Amino acid sequence: MMKQLSKYLKFDLVSFFAVVLTLLGLAVAQKPQAVQAATSDGKTQVVFWHEMGGPAEQALLKIVDGFNKSQDKYEVVPAYQGSYDEAVQKIIQTHGTNTSPAVFQSFDISTAQMMDSKYTTPIQKFADADSYDLNQISAGARAFYAKDGQQMAMPFNTSQPVLYYNATLLKKYHITPPPVSPSYSDISRVATQLYNRSNHKVKGMTVQIYGWLLEEALANAGTSLTNNSDGHDGTPTKVNLNNPTTVQFLKWIRSNIQQGNFINYGSGASAGTNQIAGFLADKVGMFIQSSATIGQLTANNKNKLGITYFPHPDGTKANGVAIGGAALWISNDKPQNVQQGAFEFIKYALNAPNQAQWQKATGYLALNKDSQNETVLKKLYASNPEAKVPAQQLATATPNKTNSGILMQGMQLTRELEETAMETVYNGGDINNALTTANQSINDNLKLTNQANGVKPK
Amino acid sequence: MLKNVVEPEPGSLDVTPTTPKAKSRTKVFALNAKDKYYALLFLGPSVLLLALFVFYPMIKTLYISLFLTSGLGKTTVFTGLGNYVRLLTSADYLNSLGVTLIYVFAVTILTIALGLLLAHLASETLPGIGIFRTLFSATMGVSVSVAAIFWLFIFNPSTGFLSLLSNWLHLPVINWLTQPNTAMVAVVITTVWMNLGFTFLILLGAIQSVPTSLYEAASVAGAKPGYQFFHITIPMISPTLFFVSIITLIGSFKSFGLIDLITKGGPTNATNMLVYRIYKDAFYSGNFAQASAESIILTVIIALFTLLQFKILERRVNY
Repeated sequence: MMKQLSKYLKFDLVSFFAVVLTLLGLAVAQKPQAVQAATSDGKTQVVFWHEMGGPAEQALLKIVDGFNKSQDKYEVVPAYQGSYDEAVQKIIQTHGTNTSPAVFQSFDISTAQMMDSKYTTPIQKFADADSYDLNQISAGARAFYAKDGQQMAMPFNTSQPVLYYNATLLKKYHITPPPVSPSYSDISRVATQLYNRSNHKVKGMTVQIYGWLLEEALANAGTSLTNNSDGHDGTPTKVNLNNPTTVQFLKWIRSNIQQGNFINYGSGASAGTNQIAGFLADKVGMFIQSSATIGQLTANNKNKLGITYFPHPDGTKANGVAIGGAALWISNDKPQNVQQGAFEFIKYALNAPNQAQWQKATGYLALNKDSQNETVLKKLYASNPEAKVPAQQLATATPNKTNSGILMQGMQLTRELEETAMETVYNGGDINNALTTANQSINDNLKLTNQANGVKPK
Repeated sequence: MLKNVVEPEPGSLDVTPTTPKAKSRTKVFALNAKDKYYALLFLGPSVLLLALFVFYPMIKTLYISLFLTSGLGKTTVFTGLGNYVRLLTSADYLNSLGVTLIYVFAVTILTIALGLLLAHLASETLPGIGIFRTLFSATMGVSVSVAAIFWLFIFNPSTGFLSLLSNWLHLPVINWLTQPNTAMVAVVITTVWMNLGFTFLILLGAIQSVPTSLYEAASVAGAKPGYQFFHITIPMISPTLFFVSIITLIGSFKSFGLIDLITKGGPTNATNMLVYRIYKDAFYSGNFAQASAESIILTVIIALFTLLQFKILERRVNY
C-alpha cells in the first residue's frame, strides 16, 4: 500500500515538474526581444523610457527619429511608461535586469530618490570626458539636478509655473492687466474687479490644489521647506510647512475665496482639465499653472492670452521659482558603449535647434541658450509675445538654495499631504491647524523614510 | 454537492441518527490510494498555480509588511507590527476606513434597492418592455473609463450638465467633486450607476424564474401586489439577493477605477478608499511596506464581512 502510494506520488511529482518547466520555458521564451544590445544592422541599441503623452510625445519621437537618422552607431528605442509616479517605481524595480532602460526620463520630485539610488552615471562624467560645455544649458534648470557641483542628470522637459490671464476679458471690463511680476494684491485686485464688473459671471481666479504650486510660492519668497537648505546641503531631516510664507500664501487665497472671486476646481488631473476648460469658456479669468500648458491655451483660445510671472508676496521681490518637469538620466547597469550612446542622444536632444522646436511644439522651455537665436523661436515670439514670459522668468532668476527644487525622498507623499492641507483650507478649515496636521504627518513619514534608508538623524 | 443532500423533512418518519451532512463529507484520509492519485493529479496544477500566483505573493506581502522599505523598495529595518500599529492609530488611515465603510454600505444598499425596483418593474410583460430591459442593463456594457469621463462631464462645475441645470433652475451651483461631502455622493452615484446593469439583469432573471402559480394562488387568496412582492418575490429570490449583495459588497471594497479617474481619493481624502490608498502608497509614494500592511488589513476586513454575511444573511435565505 505505502509502496504503491509513493510510486503514485513520485509519478505525480514528475508531472508537477513538467508543468513548472513548461511554464518557465514559456516565460523565458517571451523575453529576449527587448534584451538585444545590437540591432540587425549592427547599431547599438539604447532603450529610452519616457513619460510624455499627447503632443509632447509626438515632438519627442521626432527628436528620437532625428537622432537615429543623424548617425549610424546608435539606435534609440523609445518606450512610453505611463505617468511619472509609476515610471519611477518601474525604473527602480527593473534596475539591474535586462529589461531596464539605458536612458530614462524621471520627474523633478524623484530627483533625490534617483541621486540616492546610485543607479545612474552622472552626466558630469560624460560631459567632462567629451568636453561638453554644460554652461550652454540654462543654469536655473541645471541647479535642480546637480549635487555637490556635479551634474547628475540633464534637465529636459522644463517648465515654470506662471500666471495666465484672459487679456480679452480684462480689456472688455476695462481692467488694467497685472504687471509682469505681480504681487498677491495685484492679482487680488484684478480678480475682484473682474468678478464685480462682470456681474459675478466670471470668477476672478483659481489656484489649483497642487503641492507644486505651494512649494513654488515658498521658493518665490525665498523660504526653504526643509532643513539642510531644501536638501542641497544634505539629506533633510525636518520639514517646516507651517511657516509665515505658507500662511501668507493660503491667507491670500482664503481672502479671495471669501470675497467670491475664487473658484475651486479641486485637485488631481481632472482639476487641471476642468480649470483649463473653465478658462477657455470665460468662466474664470486667471489661473496659475505650468508653462507647459501654453500650447493648449493658445491653440483653442478665441481670446488673447496674457502671462505673468508667478505672484510673490507683497513687499518682497520675487526670488524666482524652481523649475518643474523632468530630466534625463543614464542608467549605470548598461555597458559603456550603450551609456555613451545615451549621452550622445541627450546631447542631440539638447542642441539649440531641437530645443527651440521642442519649446514651440510643447510649451516646455528651450534650455539651450542658443535656442533663442533660432528662427523658430523668433517667429513664435513675434506672433505670441507673451510666450517669452516663462523663459524670461527662468532667465531672470539667479539660482540659489531656495529656488532650485527640494531634494528630499518621499516628495510624492509630501505633496499629497500638502494638498490635503490646501483642500482643508479651501473648504473653510483653519489654516494653522491644517498646516500643523500636515507638517506632523510629513515629519513622521520623513523620519521613517530616513530610518529605512539608513540616514542617521542629526 | 452539499446542497443536493435531502434534508429530512420536519415531522417525517426518517429518524436516522447520522445527519446527512456528515455522511456526504468524505474524509480526505479515508480515500484509497487510487483516489488520492487522481486527487493529486487533478488538483495538482491548480494548487501549483495558486501557490505561484496567490500564496507566494500573499506570504511575501505579509513578510514585507513587517519591515520598513527603502527608496529602492528593499526591506531594510524590521519593525514587527510597527506598520500595523502606525496605521491603526493614524487618523488618516482610520478616516479612509470610515469613508470606505460608508461608501461600501451606501453602494451595496442603493444598488440592490434600485436594481430590485427596476427588475420588479421590468418583470411585467408589457408591449415594448424589451426596450426598457435593454436600457436598464445597458451600463453592463460601459467600461469604467467611459463611465468616469461621462460623469466627469456631468459634474464639471463650469460646463457640466448639472451646473447648467442648476443655473437654469436658479439653484446654487454645486462643485460636486471639490467638496468632501458631495464628492462622496458623486462617487456613490457613479458606482451605483455602473453596478446597476449587472444587478438588474441578475435580479430580473431571478424574478422571472419564480413560478407564476405562486402569484396566482396568492391572488386567489386575495393578497395585494405589495404583499405578494414581500412575501413571495423576495423570499423566492433570496439566494440571488444574497449572491448579489456579496458580490457588490466585495466589489465596492475593491473599487478602484472610478475613484482613480474621478476624484483620485480627494478632496481632503474624502474618497480615499482602502484599495486606492494601497495603490497610492505603493506605486506613487513607493512605500511598499505600508502598502503591504494595508493590504493585509483589507484582506482581513473583507474576509470578516463575508463571514458575517454568510452567518447572518444565509439564515434568511431559502434555497
